[in-house]
Amino acid sequence: MNFSRYLARRLGYSVFVLIGLSIVIFLIARMVPGDPARAALGPRATEEAVQALREKLHLDKPIYVQYVYWLKSVLQGDFGESLFTRRPVIEDVKEFLPATLELALFAGLFMAVFGILLGILAARYSNTWVDNLIRVFSYLGIATPAFVVAIILMLVLGMRYEIFPTIGRLSSWVEAPPRITGLITLDSLITGNFAAFFDALKHLFLPAVSLSLGGMFQEARITRSSMLENMKKDYIAAMQAYGVPKRVVMSKYLLKPSVIPTVSILGLDFASLIGNAFLVELLFNWPGLSRYGINVMLRKDVEAIVAVIMILGIVFTVVNILVDLIVAYLDPRIRLVERGE
Amino acid sequence: MQWKKLLALAAVSLLLLMAAGGVLAQESQKIVRFTEAWPTYIDPAVAADFSSSVSVANLYDTLVFPTYDGEVVPHLAERWEISDDGLTYTFYLRKGVKFHDGSELTAEDVVFSMNRLLTIGQGYSYIFKPVIEKVEALDDYTVRFTLKKSFGPFLYALVRLYVLNKDLVMQHIEDTGEYGEYGDYGKRWLLTHDAGSGPYMVKEMRMEEYLHAVQFPDYWKPIPEDAPLEFKFIGTTETATVRTLMSKRELEISDFRQPAEFYKNIAKLPGIKVAKLFGGSTFYCMMHNQKPPTDDIHFRKALAYCIDYDAIANQIFPGARQAQGPVSFILPGHNPDVYQYKRDLEKAREELKKSKYYEQLDQYPVDLVWCAEVPDEEKVALLIQANAAEIGIKVNVVKTPWMKIIDEVATPESTAHMYLIFVSPHYAEAGSMLQSKYHSSSCGTWEQTEWLQDPELDAMIEDAIATVDHEERFAKYRKIQEYIVDLCPSLFLIDQPENYAYQDYYIDWVAAERAERGEKVNPVMGYNHYMLDVKVYPEKRDELLKK
Repeated sequence: MNFSRYLARRLGYSVFVLIGLSIVIFLIARMVPGDPARAALGPRATEEAVQALREKLHLDKPIYVQYVYWLKSVLQGDFGESLFTRRPVIEDVKEFLPATLELALFAGLFMAVFGILLGILAARYSNTWVDNLIRVFSYLGIATPAFVVAIILMLVLGMRYEIFPTIGRLSSWVEAPPRITGLITLDSLITGNFAAFFDALKHLFLPAVSLSLGGMFQEARITRSSMLENMKKDYIAAMQAYGVPKRVVMSKYLLKPSVIPTVSILGLDFASLIGNAFLVELLFNWPGLSRYGINVMLRKDVEAIVAVIMILGIVFTVVNILVDLIVAYLDPRIRLVERGE
Repeated sequence: MQWKKLLALAAVSLLLLMAAGGVLAQESQKIVRFTEAWPTYIDPAVAADFSSSVSVANLYDTLVFPTYDGEVVPHLAERWEISDDGLTYTFYLRKGVKFHDGSELTAEDVVFSMNRLLTIGQGYSYIFKPVIEKVEALDDYTVRFTLKKSFGPFLYALVRLYVLNKDLVMQHIEDTGEYGEYGDYGKRWLLTHDAGSGPYMVKEMRMEEYLHAVQFPDYWKPIPEDAPLEFKFIGTTETATVRTLMSKRELEISDFRQPAEFYKNIAKLPGIKVAKLFGGSTFYCMMHNQKPPTDDIHFRKALAYCIDYDAIANQIFPGARQAQGPVSFILPGHNPDVYQYKRDLEKAREELKKSKYYEQLDQYPVDLVWCAEVPDEEKVALLIQANAAEIGIKVNVVKTPWMKIIDEVATPESTAHMYLIFVSPHYAEAGSMLQSKYHSSSCGTWEQTEWLQDPELDAMIEDAIATVDHEERFAKYRKIQEYIVDLCPSLFLIDQPENYAYQDYYIDWVAAERAERGEKVNPVMGYNHYMLDVKVYPEKRDELLKK
């Protein structure tokens, strides 16, 4: 099977997954008790205004008809209008998704770099105090929910020592860069606004660390065990017998095969970061898509709920495909199996 | 080794990042920041909740302005005339009032604002919709309102008519809207912009994040010297965040939605106090007046006599006070002499004996619903359950999400026996509460789960609200309160204060100071956060930070 056919097949499966997801989430969003139109306009809005909104949302029609209307709009790029921000959901997504992506990218970066580094360190010094220390921190890091870490970091580094800011993406006295990508760090670099760049980095630090800690230690554990397992293999023994320096053996022959399971998990963890960021976003008042997603669910903002879940579903699917491709690149055996050899 | 270099690089980056803090130190600003739950709408035809009301009160002007003692004084209108039949109100506008874009405010803008509010049918339109016949500009500075029927509190209700810049709004309408020639009536644009003449104007509005407004330099009224140059409304109520911001002096006034522990702890920090502002909100236990056994007046009164009100007011909601009747003591028109039920188990048992359900109480357990989103309500529900058990009434405590409650109370059949619900007045007068809580027209809404359909009471309420004479109207309100207390359709639990932590050391906040002196605060929602009634001293803030 060649690469393009493999990719086409994966994309085809994904379309079915997304259609299934859309049906399930559409039904759930509309079956939750409460009249979305009344909730949106408030208990004191006139009945005419509420009825007009119901009709606009097609809430007066059977649910399958509502779904057909929704699907038709989505295929034209229209995800409907948020009942609470009162503007097209797609505009909300455009506004809030970059904040979450920026947070997830930095958290992912922390997770990948420090996770793999700690894993290497633990493997290199396995069963020494270094390994034991990393192990203790790993258990703590994996077991502690991100929001608890966030509160601790906020109280210590934000409040007690006042090193990092604890709210928003930029300080009020720093001029925001013009919106190009929506990622403030990138936009400020593009426009040469270094004050905003450093300020944005400082704002990113606590939420990104809080969010990444669990995944980071998980990657560290996986990298460690994978490296230790590969260390026992014959080809490593052969390399060592040839007198190849340990540094070269580790970095050139051991690391690449050992990070394959880490990369698989890393991809999924990265996709989960976007969905799981909501508590961290709430705590740091981070105007991201996860926080928006929770708010729209609490408010029964039907169109926005479906759109947010679909966006998260798409991100998850795309990341999954990318991870498969990266793993296939790293591990030739996977490519052979796909070719049926 | 390579990894060592990488670790060193990471450590250096972190240090650089931390060092950047010195470069970006915060400068002192003459700013007041406060937190509140979102969404916030700054469009006056949509705004109706707390945060929106605070925003529009600072961005827009009204014909009359509400005072702390519940009266209204001239504002955009210099004076007014009311016809003898109470159906025509003529206002004479102040000349030279500028909108934020520099254009002059005229009667045409007032007409546009009222018509826009009524057409959109959201926000505070419900106050005006039933009474406004027409509104017309007689000339540039005279506007006349003609009412369908006499509405005594009309003048007081006008604090909710915020005047928009017609030309500016019309420049920004989107043709795709549902309001015919007015397109979307500028709703999309007004989500993030203002078209007002108020003392502050929008600098930046980021949905779900914050509203940042700055002082309007050409405001028609003199601005006090130490009034904030800007204010920022931050969209969060997360306790950890609010606490951190308060302690870092990056927040001047907290929201009022924090748990009791927050206020207790934050007040221990130097320079921070907690203000308790009674805003007119009352906490009721509403009883279904058509469903057995709460359809029996003696059964209801038995419950009213067995409740431990002190525990609710002092332990569950510290700082609250037991409600005296159906109208909060803060609201103009409250009856301070109305009978107040107290815990008295003897009386409770006597009333219960008179009830037709007395002999078969075990067959009539009652369901008491509390709102899942307000955890403190569970404590009240459990207390009522325990109190009722003392006289032999079995209460089932039911936790229900708010959206489900709204659905449930739509019909008498699906409405449970009892609901714990906070209700606030629509406008700052007793009549508002009496109408929304006890007039039969509000049955089926969350404001009246009692299903009280009493023609005599309806007539009394309608008559009182139609009375233009202030004293006469208030006398009628007092009488209605006596009638309702005697009927005991609900348990009048507490008048709930809004608790705000604030930076007492470097801001002067009129509302907080009045509350501390035991004086009434502004009963109109949003006006205790009127920024011209706040003074801020940034140098004192810096002093506090250095400590």
